[in-house]
Amino acid sequence: MSPDDVMIVVIAGLLSTSCAVLGGFLVLRGQALLPDAVSHAVLPGIVLIFLLTGERATLWTVVGATAFGVLCVLGSDWLRRTGVVESDAALALVFPALFSLGILGISRFASGAHIDLDSAIYGDLTFAPLRTVSLFGADVPQSLVVTGLATVAVVALVVVLWRPLQAAAFDPAFAELAGLRGRLIGQVLLVAVAGLAVVAFDSVGAILVITFFVVPASTARLLTARLGTMLVVAALCGWVASIAGHTVAVSADTSIPGTIGLASGALFVLALLFAPRRGLLTRRRATP
Amino acid sequence: MTGVLGGLLDALPLSYADAVVVVGTAVVGFVAGLLGPLAVLRQRSMFGDAMSHGTLAGVAVAFLVTGAKVPELLLLGAAVSAAVAAFAMLALERTGRLRSDAAIGVVLSVSLTLGIVLLTGISGSGNASQAGLDEYLLGQTAGMVERDIVVALALASVAVVAVGLGFRLLRSATFDPGFTAVAGVRTWVVDAASTGLLALAVVLGVRTVGAILMVALLVAPVVAARQVTSTLAVLMPLSGLVGAASGAVGGLVAGRAELPAGPVIVLLATGLAVLSVVFAPRRGVVAKLARGRARVSR
Repeated sequence: MSPDDVMIVVIAGLLSTSCAVLGGFLVLRGQALLPDAVSHAVLPGIVLIFLLTGERATLWTVVGATAFGVLCVLGSDWLRRTGVVESDAALALVFPALFSLGILGISRFASGAHIDLDSAIYGDLTFAPLRTVSLFGADVPQSLVVTGLATVAVVALVVVLWRPLQAAAFDPAFAELAGLRGRLIGQVLLVAVAGLAVVAFDSVGAILVITFFVVPASTARLLTARLGTMLVVAALCGWVASIAGHTVAVSADTSIPGTIGLASGALFVLALLFAPRRGLLTRRRATP
Repeated sequence: MTGVLGGLLDALPLSYADAVVVVGTAVVGFVAGLLGPLAVLRQRSMFGDAMSHGTLAGVAVAFLVTGAKVPELLLLGAAVSAAVAAFAMLALERTGRLRSDAAIGVVLSVSLTLGIVLLTGISGSGNASQAGLDEYLLGQTAGMVERDIVVALALASVAVVAVGLGFRLLRSATFDPGFTAVAGVRTWVVDAASTGLLALAVVLGVRTVGAILMVALLVAPVVAARQVTSTLAVLMPLSGLVGAASGAVGGLVAGRAELPAGPVIVLLATGLAVLSVVFAPRRGVVAKLARGRARVSR
């Protein structure tokens, strides 16, 4: 592997780690589709910040995009609480509307800009090693710095909030009663997901964001019943998928995010069939 | 049929190109609105999202097999892969090992990445006619021609006839799956039928509004119509009409303002849904607030 290849794998692996850790909680809470919605809903935020500042990859972009991600979550939550719209329909109502605003914004005001829809959706992972920033005198890919910081932040957040997060994931009512602020924790988790989705959106594109949040965590859910183990296994799945997917993409000359996503899917299917206790084939073999 | 259609297009007080887009988007919106309740009322709204993302792979495979952009064959490929995605979700749910949201998320991710890998392969192959295949992701109305409307109308009549014939079954399966099973109808038959119908709606809509926004076309008209009626026999056609109106007006406005039609249509439909949630006579937020206040003052 060339240094650039290693860099791509490391960026994807770091991102999969942070997404898998948060994704684990989302899967347990039945909110696995939030990252999909949020990663689309942030588009108007990115466009708005671009129109205001003329830049598309600053801290403000992350702030603006995260704001719209949170808006998406709050909006669908409001619709759900009116009691006349189910939560899944509420989500399906809000995020396409926000994404539409983003597309209209691009086509109306920013068509000449570098907000390339293709790269937003397919991701720039292949070119990530080429965009560098100077750090302590060395040229480091910007994505590496950003995803590295995001991963550290996410892991720190989860470690600090371990007890309440754990309680709220399995038993929200208990978490609230035990003074662990279940609702607040839920909101912190959502903001973290929105922020991470934005960072990931810029580095690897929307496709991989959704995949990294849901697939490794679901795979791990099939393999283990313990929360801590599940998060570690999920992160490991992310790394394995990143390495395998990248290897396949290079040898077959195809989309790197695409093959990484497919590799995650393959791991999921393997776990579904052969997981030690919950696998479809394992159990069938044990019953007769 | 083409003659009648031509007459209709001429009769509209619009330029020919505008008329084609308006009629086309109206038909697409109608079908999506009509069939949307099959997903929304069973709390499977996001099924539509995964199915529409699933169409990409089918379009790519159909293109690879035929080597040409024959719209009908691409539609067929899209329909097959959307249905495969839907059945994968149903099967994953039935294994009982994952919640439905995780099952949807997994299928969505895998089918989308598969589509992307296939499309990348196609665009790398340098085939001249592949340009525009990825319009399926974001939708396109400008290229709509009379032939698209004929296809849409044909599929729309299939949908209407199927809903008409199977209405009682669909109704009981939607509101009371347990009863339907007890009454001797195999649930998977109804599931398969309603999934097939949804695939039809998704496939029609994806070309117009794109895979990402398609889910809104299924959900928003239903939410709008649901607030003013609680009878499925009224809800389905009403939601179809809301979809058709959003489609027609959105298509027209987008054409005049030189905007992409998908987002305009989706924003119109969403706007109607939100208006309905807030102002509907009995279920609406305002009506409920007013009732609450009246009770307090009494």
